[in-house]
Amino acid sequence: MHILIYGIINSIALSLISLGFALVYSISRVPNFAHGALYVTTGYIVWLLINKLTGFPYPLAILVGIGITGIIGALIYRLVLIRIRGMEISEIIATYAIGVAILEGLRWGGLRGMTFTLPVFIPGSVDIFGVVVDYQRLVVVILGAATFLFLYFFIHHTRIGLALRGIAQDERAAMMLGIDSDMTAILSLGIGSALAGFSSLLLLPLGNIIVEAGYSVLIFAVAVCITGGLGSLMGTIVASFLIGFAQILTDKFLSTHYQMVVALLAIILTLIIKPSGLFGKQKELEERV
Amino acid sequence: MEGKGYEANLEERSPMLEAKELLVFYENMIALNNVSIKCEKGEIVGVFGSNSAGKSTLMYTLSGIILDIKFKEEMRGGERISVFGKILFNGCEISSMKPHERARLGIILCPERRRIFPESSVLENLLIGAFLSRKERKENLDYVLNLFPRLKDHLKRQGGFLSGGEQQMLAIGRALMANPKLLLLDEPLLGLSPYYQEIVINGITQIRETKKIGIIVTEQYARPLMPIIDYGYILENGSSVLSGTKEELMDNPDVKSAYFGV
Repeated sequence: MHILIYGIINSIALSLISLGFALVYSISRVPNFAHGALYVTTGYIVWLLINKLTGFPYPLAILVGIGITGIIGALIYRLVLIRIRGMEISEIIATYAIGVAILEGLRWGGLRGMTFTLPVFIPGSVDIFGVVVDYQRLVVVILGAATFLFLYFFIHHTRIGLALRGIAQDERAAMMLGIDSDMTAILSLGIGSALAGFSSLLLLPLGNIIVEAGYSVLIFAVAVCITGGLGSLMGTIVASFLIGFAQILTDKFLSTHYQMVVALLAIILTLIIKPSGLFGKQKELEERV
Repeated sequence: MEGKGYEANLEERSPMLEAKELLVFYENMIALNNVSIKCEKGEIVGVFGSNSAGKSTLMYTLSGIILDIKFKEEMRGGERISVFGKILFNGCEISSMKPHERARLGIILCPERRRIFPESSVLENLLIGAFLSRKERKENLDYVLNLFPRLKDHLKRQGGFLSGGEQQMLAIGRALMANPKLLLLDEPLLGLSPYYQEIVINGITQIRETKKIGIIVTEQYARPLMPIIDYGYILENGSSVLSGTKEELMDNPDVKSAYFGV
């Protein structure tokens, strides 16, 4: 029972972490390696707001934090990526460099030495089938599921969402229909970064804000996306559950610090067995002449 | 005689689309050599030529996609593409506009090989096409489904699983959803069986009659489209070697032998 409940929680947490990365990649084909840095940044911004400005309300700080992160993401595209669009290696190098710069900048700017924690949304815990689960973890599950549903609705049923889907599948064909590809890419990076921020604010109250989290979050996100198939949101969620449960199992039977090994092993196994990932783009959908 | 009157008419008014002396180079290879083309509202203009004659390049140049290709090639350090010439749309110079800006003016390209969104359903493909025409979405959808009733049966199917002919109908329908004023059709008959060719050709004629928009259509093989065009151009190695009304082209012995196989 413990494995089942914590497996679900861990899986949803993982998919929240990865969703932003997957979304950006699936829409604009930009691997946003600054994802982990944005994750930590949001946490630190909110921490600064509620600790340095006395009386700043926590909910408002959350909104401001997510908003700022979204804008940072959009700016990364507008200022840097727009010039190297379509060159994957350059995109990886540039976003990774930005990510490292942000993370080490944060370390230099004060994120070190002491323990930084965010308060949980609702204190306390509850007993589910004999397993103690704190409310924050339940919030993660509920808001996580709500985020999936919201994103699904947004992408399939709104004008902007449909435009994003068009660009994701065939950039030029979408351009011919009047969709601005740079605008959608800015939007996707904004949304993806905001999602990174959102997930960080849900998950960071469970632990500390540390710079290293930026690197591990990035590795988790990449592991999930590669296993699920880059560019597939469905694959991201399925892979989160696979890796999420695998991590909880190793945690239970081996030791906690094998979690990272699980993620890396998932990358290696996927690349050996099925490089396109579980739900990677299939050949059968290629154009017919 | 009918042809003459028509030509005189073209000279007087300024046409909806007028491209003057288009020159496009891929590195040192010339893809379009001084091509000028006009299209009037309510008119179907045919552009014929074999592979590598420059038909697609012409379509990309008119719709602005060439600028995107050029930009990406430059970024990558690949081929150097140069584009010269003037494109006037309703009297406005548009040759430096981006593709989506031109689409907003009403120039919609239905590309070669259709480029359907493979993972989206037929309905979703059409709705993505309606990005620029939110208000008239319902109306346009009815129009498209009326024009190509076959699409009605497959609304929920993934675009990538349609047959070639259905994909072509979908591609034209998707372009129509964007409320085009000038519809560019790049090889709409490519790889289609005669049965589907006829459906597509009938569709094009119907669009002209009901929507009164300008249509430029390219094709390798002139015969199936000849009956419906008003004016035609023949491209060879990037140059427009011949142009004229339907009758003029049909009477020309060179055209007869090269494009009709007579």
